[in-house]
Amino acid sequence: MTWLVGVDVGGTFTDFFAYETGSRQVRLFKTPSTPKNPASAIADGLLALCKEFDISPSDIERVSHGTTVATNALIQRRGGTVAVITTKGFRDLLEIGRQTRPHLYSFQQDQPAPLAPRNRRFEIAERITAGPAIIEPIDQASLEKAIEDVKQSGVEACAVCLLFSFLDGSHERAVGEALSKVDGLSVSLSSEVQPEFREYERFSTAVLNAYLQPVMHRYLTFLEDRLRADAPGAKVGIYQSSGGLMSIDTARKFPVRTALSGPAAGAVGAVYMSRLSSEPDVITVDVGGTSADVALIRNYEAGISFNRDVAGFPVRLPMVDIHTVGAGGGSIAWFDRDGLLKVGPTSAGADPGPACYRRGGTNATVTDANLATGRLSAKGLIGGRMPLDIEASRNVLAPIAEKLNFSIERAALGILDIVSANMVRAIRTISVERGHDPRNYCLLPFGGAGPLHATEIARSLGISKILVPAAPGILCAQGLIASDMKDDFVRSARMRLDDAGMATIGDLAADVMIDAAKWFDSESIEPHQRRISLSLDVRYVGQNFELPVHAVSGPGGKLPVIPKAKEIRRRFLDIHTQFYGFCSETDPIELVNLRLTASAKITDLTGTSKAKTSTQKPKPIARRPVWFSADGPVDTPIYDRATFLAGQKIVGPAIIDQFDSTTVLHPRDVLTVDSALNLSIRLSK
Amino acid sequence: MKRTKASLRKKSAGKVKVKAAAGKKAAAPKAAAKKAASVDPITIEIVGNGLRSIADETFIALMKSAYSTNIKERKDHSTAICDASGRLIAQAEASLPVHIASMTGLMKHLLADYAGKINKGDIFIANDPHVAGGTHLPDINMAIPVFHEDKLVAFMCNIAHHADVGGMFPGSMAGGMAEIYQEGLRVPVIKLFSKGELNDDILKLILLNVRVPQERRGDYFAQVAACRLGERRLVELFEAYQTGPMLKIFDEIVHRTRKRMQAAIERIPDGTYTFEDVMDDDGLGTTNIPVKVHIEVRGSAIKVDFKGTARQVKGNINTTLNATQAAVCYTLKSLLDPEIPNNQGMLDAVELVAESGTLVSSVFPAPVAARANTCQRIVDVVVGALASALPLVAVGAANGANTTAVFAGIDPRSGQSYVYLETLGGGFGGRASKDGTDGVQVHITNTSNLPVEAIETEYPLLVESYSLVEDSGGAGKFRGGMGLRRVIRPIGHDCTFNGALERAVNRPWGIFGGGPGAVGRFMLIGPSDETLLAAKPSGVTVTAGEKLMIESPGAGGYGNASERSAELVEQDRSSGKFSATFLAQNYPAMVQLPKAS
Repeated sequence: MTWLVGVDVGGTFTDFFAYETGSRQVRLFKTPSTPKNPASAIADGLLALCKEFDISPSDIERVSHGTTVATNALIQRRGGTVAVITTKGFRDLLEIGRQTRPHLYSFQQDQPAPLAPRNRRFEIAERITAGPAIIEPIDQASLEKAIEDVKQSGVEACAVCLLFSFLDGSHERAVGEALSKVDGLSVSLSSEVQPEFREYERFSTAVLNAYLQPVMHRYLTFLEDRLRADAPGAKVGIYQSSGGLMSIDTARKFPVRTALSGPAAGAVGAVYMSRLSSEPDVITVDVGGTSADVALIRNYEAGISFNRDVAGFPVRLPMVDIHTVGAGGGSIAWFDRDGLLKVGPTSAGADPGPACYRRGGTNATVTDANLATGRLSAKGLIGGRMPLDIEASRNVLAPIAEKLNFSIERAALGILDIVSANMVRAIRTISVERGHDPRNYCLLPFGGAGPLHATEIARSLGISKILVPAAPGILCAQGLIASDMKDDFVRSARMRLDDAGMATIGDLAADVMIDAAKWFDSESIEPHQRRISLSLDVRYVGQNFELPVHAVSGPGGKLPVIPKAKEIRRRFLDIHTQFYGFCSETDPIELVNLRLTASAKITDLTGTSKAKTSTQKPKPIARRPVWFSADGPVDTPIYDRATFLAGQKIVGPAIIDQFDSTTVLHPRDVLTVDSALNLSIRLSK
Repeated sequence: MKRTKASLRKKSAGKVKVKAAAGKKAAAPKAAAKKAASVDPITIEIVGNGLRSIADETFIALMKSAYSTNIKERKDHSTAICDASGRLIAQAEASLPVHIASMTGLMKHLLADYAGKINKGDIFIANDPHVAGGTHLPDINMAIPVFHEDKLVAFMCNIAHHADVGGMFPGSMAGGMAEIYQEGLRVPVIKLFSKGELNDDILKLILLNVRVPQERRGDYFAQVAACRLGERRLVELFEAYQTGPMLKIFDEIVHRTRKRMQAAIERIPDGTYTFEDVMDDDGLGTTNIPVKVHIEVRGSAIKVDFKGTARQVKGNINTTLNATQAAVCYTLKSLLDPEIPNNQGMLDAVELVAESGTLVSSVFPAPVAARANTCQRIVDVVVGALASALPLVAVGAANGANTTAVFAGIDPRSGQSYVYLETLGGGFGGRASKDGTDGVQVHITNTSNLPVEAIETEYPLLVESYSLVEDSGGAGKFRGGMGLRRVIRPIGHDCTFNGALERAVNRPWGIFGGGPGAVGRFMLIGPSDETLLAAKPSGVTVTAGEKLMIESPGAGGYGNASERSAELVEQDRSSGKFSATFLAQNYPAMVQLPKAS
């Protein structure tokens, strides 16, 4: 027996998805999370899972882990103490940032205080400029002084942030070398964390990395020790924000790469599901209690962005392009000063939660609106231990309805429309603003509340097809099992993209391939598992924002032939037109970064066992009135999803309850259970 | 629900009028709203969300495809949606207040000049402050009419600060320009595109008159693309909701915002509030130029009157009336209700009085390039006037300048000319419960800096340092923020420096006993000597061996320095932001200088 286990740590529960590669058996398990040390829920849960399903721990070959340790440490500011060594004259750069305020009209809001305060930022005399050219070598005396200052400050970690290190990292490496002699100090070089153009974003990324190193080091060491003892055969993969797993050692060195580990795993789970249902182009919406994460998947690949904020700081790293909006089940409805109804971003959270939880919540939330319209069952979710109090929901909705001069149900529908509009806006950000037409996509809702809102979202975006995965609530843990091992490499180099430039790109690619080969070897990846993908960040000469142009990809760990300049140019013009609606046929283009992704398929999940099929209509377990529009309630059958067999079909209206989610099927929409037991919904015209 | 046919009643509030009598008009729209069919608050919210989304999408599209460093890195651009009568309906979240003034200004002239001659596919372009509603020439305005079912229903507008628009000095922003003609090419409201066809003659004429035309061409087309993208999106929204309800929603958005603004104004105690400050100089010899404000609040009505303010000056720090309006409304919104939507309703709730021909309501041929400095002063005086009425939200005077630095020359590597323009942030005033922010863009501007690595890659310049200016924040219970310092030298060639700075003489004041912040300055530093430059220098040669130091002003503190906590004083000391001498002078009870040995 060979078991693969995916572990996703959430705020409330730690989810396990176990898969046996020979028999293709699946086991699901949940245990309460242990926020103080999330690793103990993982280690204890793993043993409990083995016990419950009679799995021998030594049969576990791999544990793939999505972690929120870094994210939480950032949000709660519980990282390590950090010093910075930087170029002389630029000590304040990390504090000045881009010299902007977070809110144009607020006299009170400020950017977050730097993680390394001014008295722990030290300067050394050295200078590299564009070219790259070293115009001032490192002054050894100033370096020694800085190292001494770092020692004296007693910090746990130090970030080395020198100008133009993305072009020439030799000075940073020299400083790193000197710092390596300081006992117990973690070191992050900006040129290693992410060697990219634009100093503030690069420095910020390096400082975040340093800030997370001590926390992540402790966490990973604990986890590694426990797993070594409990499941000695298991290799551990840590999920990174760009999608794909990395080794514990890499995670220790670059913890900032896990800053969006959790949501990214959801996107990969969605990719896996979309493959099973043969839907290559999918927009995902993961709706939880306080927020919704949206992402776009094209041709089975999640979009990647390279620049975003994490906990108020810019991070320049490849990350699954996920956009988050404060819209979830707990989002509170309120009237703004102009009398318009708003929903969120304030959330009642899990405690007190929506009024219907009867834990003291006094605000009308999205969940209350779902309950009052009959969309959620008053009995709560199937298998749920918590009934919902519909009268409590109606009581908190009543004042809103009164102010609108609406019935309670119509007010509740309004709340649902507004929260959907907020999610739609987030989806527009990752679709139309990136040049993708959502009408060509299928909507894949997940998380507990995603399938409740999918239809409204799809209709507003002109989407005609919805795919509800088999287990919307544990998609993240499932995605971890399906993940590849992956590492991303980048070289910043500005050059014209003509035939001469392409020759140089060949040299650069060959150079970065050396790193990739080293990585394949260090992770003991077999040649047949290896895969290489090369893309170029390209722009018109004079522009400042680059567009990624896929160059080439291929198996076997060898670099395939790179297309000619003319072909790269053609692809760039297409993408430029797609993003901005125009392109210039004649303006010269240039390369800014060359990116190489090395990945390894470690799990083959294709050909999952066929589900039982049936053409009979499923039988409802109950009926109740449900409000789909303000016209009035519709008598609606309620189904238990666990009874569904592949091939079955229903025409809406219907409510489909399951262990971890509820799906709303609107009148005349058609639902089919597909062979992967995903629900495929076609919206009526 | 969406398809309700509502008859639209045109409201009287539809005109763009800077001088709006707030109280009088409130009654009429209310009556109209009551009669309206079912455009309910939920639909308004959802459509409003859609409109903001369109404005944001075009904002990002423009930023990403532009060529001017100002736009692509510093986001010195804005996008907005106006209705067919020129009222501002929605704008991108990151839009700048002064830009919005330009857009509403453009609409007024566009509608007056082209009534009945607006066609689908036209794209209007303009920049002139005196005949086209602009606020200074480098801000290029564009607007595309949006038609639904052959009816003109809206305009999609954008505005971007180009790195050059011709005139006497590279960058078109230098001090020392005495009339509008010297500041660059003046463009009245004209059609760059007619029915979808480019008027190539116009583009040729414009490009011939600006520096680095090949880059500017890219900027013009980025703006055109953003216009068309917004037009497409607006048509989609009109398709979904239909013209009748959409226009009703426009009315509702404006009306509700106006009511909201009026409710905010009501929170200011009735009374008359005054304040006076001065601009240092206009760069052409006029100094200590008074900016005076009288604010009268009565219920939900507010009148902001600039009587007593100086006549317009020879130097280019004059503002047009709409720029003044932008600065006043920015201030009131920030003090009263920062989340209020930016649309015509907010502007209409404020009555503005400023005599034509004054510094804050200048007329032809006043030069206006550096108007942002005066706008910053207008913000300071309005805050100063209302401080006693709103002590918890008032702040000390900010750095009060849009410290502008322009380096230009011929790149010795390529033989091509270059223009590098930057505006520096500085201190933000001390606040009721915390220190002012250090080194940040304040009030009406929020543009990013250009990364050092971008400057050195694109231009033959070396940045020697970029830092906060020691001791520049005014002392106080909560101190003022600190100014910024940048030291730049040309590599392998001589370059020209132009700049504009304010509060180089009159320090940014503190409030409620807070101390003033430090002044700003430009210094030319040679191998053996240093020269203090004028606050608005133009045509200064910086030779290959010299460097130019820019220091922006700090900001004023809040409350008496004697009330500052020991903890904060210690932070000032340990961070190295303030010298021992400064601390001993300002907080003598807590810090004593060691006796000289």
